Amino acid sequence: MVQDKKYSLFLGCVIPNRYPFIEAATKKVFQKLGITLVDMEGASCCPAPGVFRGFDIDTWLIIATRNLTIAENNNYDIATMCNGCYGSLLEADHQLKSDVEKRNMVNYHLSKVNRSYKGSIKVKHIIEILYKDIGLDKIKNRVKYGRKNKLDLRIAVHYGCHLLKPSEIRPWGKDSETPHFLDDLVEATGCKSINYLDKYRCCGAAGAVRSAFKEISLDFTREKLTNMRAAGVEAIITVCPFCHLQFDLGQIEINKIFKDRIDAPFNIPVIYYTQLLGLALGMNPEEVGLIKDKELSGVPPFISIEPFLTKIGEKLEG
Amino acid sequence: MLDYEPDIITNCTNTLVDSLKEAGYSEVDACIQCGTCSGGCPSGERTALKVRTIMRKVQLGIEDILSENDIWYCSTCYTCLERCPRKLPITDMIIFLRNLAVQKGFMLKSHLDLCKKFCFSGHGVPIDDKKWKELREFYGLKKVPPTVHSHEKDLDEVKRLLISSKFNELINIDSEELGIKKKVKVSIVEETLEKYITEEEKLKISKI
Amino acid sequence: MKDKTKIGVFVCHCGNNIAGVIDVEKLTEYAKTLPNVVEAFNYKFMCSEIGQELIKEKIKNGEINRVVVAACSPRMHETTFRKVCNEAGLNQYLYEAANIREHCTWVNTQDTEGAYEIAKSHVRMAVAKANKLEALEKFRVQVEPTCLVVGAGIAGMNSALDLSNFGYKVYLVEKTTTIGGHMAQLDKTFPTLDCSSCVITPKMSEVLKAKNIELMTYSEITNISGYVGNFNVTIKKKPHYIDQEICTGCGTCAQECIVIAANEFDLGMKKRKAAYIPFPQAVPGKYTIDMDHCIKCGICAEICPVDAVKYDDKPTFVDIKVGTIILSTGYDLYDPTILRQYGYGKYPNVITGLEMERLMSSFGPTEGKVKRRSDLKEPSTIVFLQCVGSRDFTEKGNKYCSRVCCMYSAKQARLFKEKHPNANIFIFYIDIRAFGKGYEEFYDSTGREFHIKFIRGRISEVVEDEEHNIIVRGEDTLLQKLIRIKADLLVLAVGLEPRQDSNKITRLFNVQRSEDGFLMEAHPKLRPVETLTDGIFIAGAVQGPKDIPDAIAQAKAAALQSALLIAKGKVEIDPIFSIVLNHRCAGCKSCISVCPFNAISFNELQKVAEINKILCKGCGTCVAACPTSAIIQNQFGNAQLLPMIHNAVQKSEKIGG
Ligand SMILES: Cc1cc2nc3c(=O)[nH]c(=O)nc-3n(C[C@H](O)[C@H](O)[C@H](O)COP(=O)(O)OP(=O)(O)OC[C@H]3O[C@@H](n4cnc5c(N)ncnc54)[C@H](O)[C@@H]3O)c2cc1C
Ligand code: SF4
Ligand code: SF4
Repeated sequence: MVQDKKYSLFLGCVIPNRYPFIEAATKKVFQKLGITLVDMEGASCCPAPGVFRGFDIDTWLIIATRNLTIAENNNYDIATMCNGCYGSLLEADHQLKSDVEKRNMVNYHLSKVNRSYKGSIKVKHIIEILYKDIGLDKIKNRVKYGRKNKLDLRIAVHYGCHLLKPSEIRPWGKDSETPHFLDDLVEATGCKSINYLDKYRCCGAAGAVRSAFKEISLDFTREKLTNMRAAGVEAIITVCPFCHLQFDLGQIEINKIFKDRIDAPFNIPVIYYTQLLGLALGMNPEEVGLIKDKELSGVPPFISIEPFLTKIGEKLEG
Repeated sequence: MLDYEPDIITNCTNTLVDSLKEAGYSEVDACIQCGTCSGGCPSGERTALKVRTIMRKVQLGIEDILSENDIWYCSTCYTCLERCPRKLPITDMIIFLRNLAVQKGFMLKSHLDLCKKFCFSGHGVPIDDKKWKELREFYGLKKVPPTVHSHEKDLDEVKRLLISSKFNELINIDSEELGIKKKVKVSIVEETLEKYITEEEKLKISKI
Repeated sequence: MKDKTKIGVFVCHCGNNIAGVIDVEKLTEYAKTLPNVVEAFNYKFMCSEIGQELIKEKIKNGEINRVVVAACSPRMHETTFRKVCNEAGLNQYLYEAANIREHCTWVNTQDTEGAYEIAKSHVRMAVAKANKLEALEKFRVQVEPTCLVVGAGIAGMNSALDLSNFGYKVYLVEKTTTIGGHMAQLDKTFPTLDCSSCVITPKMSEVLKAKNIELMTYSEITNISGYVGNFNVTIKKKPHYIDQEICTGCGTCAQECIVIAANEFDLGMKKRKAAYIPFPQAVPGKYTIDMDHCIKCGICAEICPVDAVKYDDKPTFVDIKVGTIILSTGYDLYDPTILRQYGYGKYPNVITGLEMERLMSSFGPTEGKVKRRSDLKEPSTIVFLQCVGSRDFTEKGNKYCSRVCCMYSAKQARLFKEKHPNANIFIFYIDIRAFGKGYEEFYDSTGREFHIKFIRGRISEVVEDEEHNIIVRGEDTLLQKLIRIKADLLVLAVGLEPRQDSNKITRLFNVQRSEDGFLMEAHPKLRPVETLTDGIFIAGAVQGPKDIPDAIAQAKAAALQSALLIAKGKVEIDPIFSIVLNHRCAGCKSCISVCPFNAISFNELQKVAEINKILCKGCGTCVAACPTSAIIQNQFGNAQLLPMIHNAVQKSEKIGG
């Protein structure tokens, strides 16, 4: 097991401000795996690649780099839980490492707030840390419900685009079309990753599409959900809060907007990967933020996780 | 008399190609219009976006792509970029075209609002209701995350940077409105510059 | 006493190639100012008869005794002008080239003045060198009147047959157990649609019968040494485990053999036994046991009527001496598995063009009836996708066009449609390349008469439905509409690639590969079948993707080039080689390890390095490597190069400036 390795945890926006249970679960699970996630005090939006990069690439680069410098000051590589943040920060880091002119431009601006980019850290998605740094075998060894009472749920894995592409600056090797590392991670918990049509397709949330054209954006999701349902899955596993939101809140919205185009309302529980991993490691559902009765309304999870919890309960007891 | 104007391209301008090339996207003329990009574009399946046509219009300098919605339909899934046989960084080029559109004033209201939100809060999706704080507490977290939301000084930094890159002007926000004085003292800037920039790099900086 | 040096400079216009960029008159005048230049001329085409005569005349009249031609690259016309000198009675090594086309005007079309300055330095350097040139004599070596042909596809077979008809002995070495190559796998051939087997099987038996051809199948070259006219080659004959001399090809062993393996010839779509021949018409039709699968049960040994089975068969090695070599090892097919978006290897009904060819063949796995792998039903909607792995600038593909895929898809589509008039056939393409004789007409008829639908667009991705149909997604770029087709079968028109073991071939034979990975010809236009190693020629798809007519044309050309050398009996060798000055050589052997042509050996008696002047190509690597400056190179010694360098760096005053 990796001994007390530390990472700078980049929160982004959607996780801390809308889906805090992802933050809570991830921190606890990583602690259990012997990894400390150190907060990046004063970090901002990554900023989001669709709107902000779409508005002004230089500004996007400057703000993203400011976030990088916070991690540089911490002196730990960045761990992000969001594909969008991963895309922004990784791309920014890559551009600055390969282009002196850009680095100088950014450092010029950063100097006004007494910061400078050195290029001393790496940007990683928590999935990369789990899969590459810790490793599948070690995770399998730690999984409590291994052979006997497996959590053998039927899972629809959703990778999300920016985790995989552009593949040239991603750590997953040549195959960006049909990778399987996330399926492997899901299967390491004892669940079954179910193949469904167009599994690697986009959820439709990103690229500034959701904010401006919600219906178009949800139509991507509708298609994916239809395919997932056809494959008979019991839960969706995500590794990005924006995809997560698109599937979670999205199902409610789709059930309304596309009432006539779907056979029946959707209600597939949406679970973030570290929540599932936590369960597999023997943590109880509350610990990983899987709590069904809470008083607050109009907050996530929007789609009930109860069916999921019931099934988990059955498996773990039986 | 003809009752219609035949749509004839008599004049190919290189304006778009040139701006793309200047920004480092030198591959634009390598597009062979094979349609691999458009054929698998999940957005193009449901919208008017046709990536191949965007590349064509860029080549020919037809600028209506900047004022139309199409480039904003792209969900940046990078499918096209991965498959293009001529290695055009298509998605990144679309992002750059968005920049050009915004510079010309073509932007959508919802995006503008998002940018404003960011300028004021440092978050694209900020905590703008107390229920979000309660939600955090419910899951055993600090009410306010350790981001710019907890650190006034850092938010101030973000705002200064936005002013420095003139992002606020792009979306028409006055720096005073952001609560920041317009001019940053020049001497401070130069002093900090000295600290980490090598001689040869300094030469390049003077270009900016 | 030596004659006084009298240099003539001849500036070529090369039409507009040179004269269109720089002022040739001015350059001629400039040349006259250089040391020992007595005459300078310019002419439209120095390489033409008139240009050549001009040089000859000046030499014959005794006006000049050194020639500098400022024109194109010496790779183009060095031999031409050397011959001119020779014919006029001047030692041909007293000629020097100034390359003011490739090195100057072609790359500086926009900058007339700069180009002129560069041209001046080239001429200056050439004149400086010409002042120091020495007369040299070519020397001759004997040519062994035999040829080795490596690879017995349609190209190699043609070369071998031609040489054999000239009356020369040919060793034809083939890696697999049969000759014929890819063409033997094809059903019919475009554009004439004649049956491939009917064309190639008679050729195959002709090869077998030809009295001058010694055929060695299931064999590989393991070692080669020597030089043009005198190559020593070692061939490894792999064990067949069935005595090829005794085997009558009755096939009893295969009938009774109990082990089943995939037949490579049918790309694994058909089974064969461990004792096998790849296909019924294979030549030579003798059986082989595949020891990777054989379990040595002993059945075949017992049952063989002539007792030919030898489980303890061993490889044998044959040493031969040949004068020339023709490499015709052909191509490999692009493996589309890596393009995951097309599902090859994952979806059973996605196949390659060559698999389609086997399915269509009357002696293929389905006896000529095209069937889907998933359910053995005949397809009625077939989609072809062109340029799979070709014209692809990513790491996953090849940049070049594979030249045959447009035509073979059109052919397959048409043949299928002939038998199934109701079938729906779509061909997705980027550009259709129908460049050969009769090809455009063939393409025309596929649409005009057979209603095959050509869709301009490259498929982006495919998915599979429950019945294993392939849903194709792409754009019809002419309609400007997305198009989705439910196909029963998707055929990927995969491109041609250099052989996997090309590096082994280049190392063994000391030949080069061009950027695309195929073997490189000595000159892309003027010397298309020669390699840079004298006496070694290339033929067929080993040099680059090509169709059968082109492969054969090249094979015949290579045979002729080879025969020319043999017919002359002797070959002249350029005296541009390096020489070791024994008194300076310290015996450190540095040169031996750097020589790319293995031309240097060590004389143990005198403890000095020795250069084989035939093997030496005059590359100069050893000269640079020698720590004691003990090696000098003819025509490229310090005497010649130092004045050139001095003149290259010397700043010329601008004329008129
Ligand atoms: C699907 C398909 C359909 C086609 N249809 C047509 C058509 O209709 N008409 C047409 O004109 N062209 C067609 N072609 C092209 C045709 O196949 C080639 O032009 C032709 O086969 C080239 O012949 P070759 O002898 O150069 O190479 P090959 O056919 O590849 O023969 C090379 C030979 O060398 C042997 N060899 C390889 N390495 C070694 C080694 N190291 N030592 C000894 N031997 C070795 C091989 O075993 C093989 O026998 C088609 C190609 C494909 C892929
Ligand atoms: S995939 Fe590439 S080459 Fe083909 S049309 Fe799109 S941008 Fe052009
Ligand atoms: S990146 Fe944009 S344009 Fe390209 S395929 Fe995805 S949605 Fe379409």
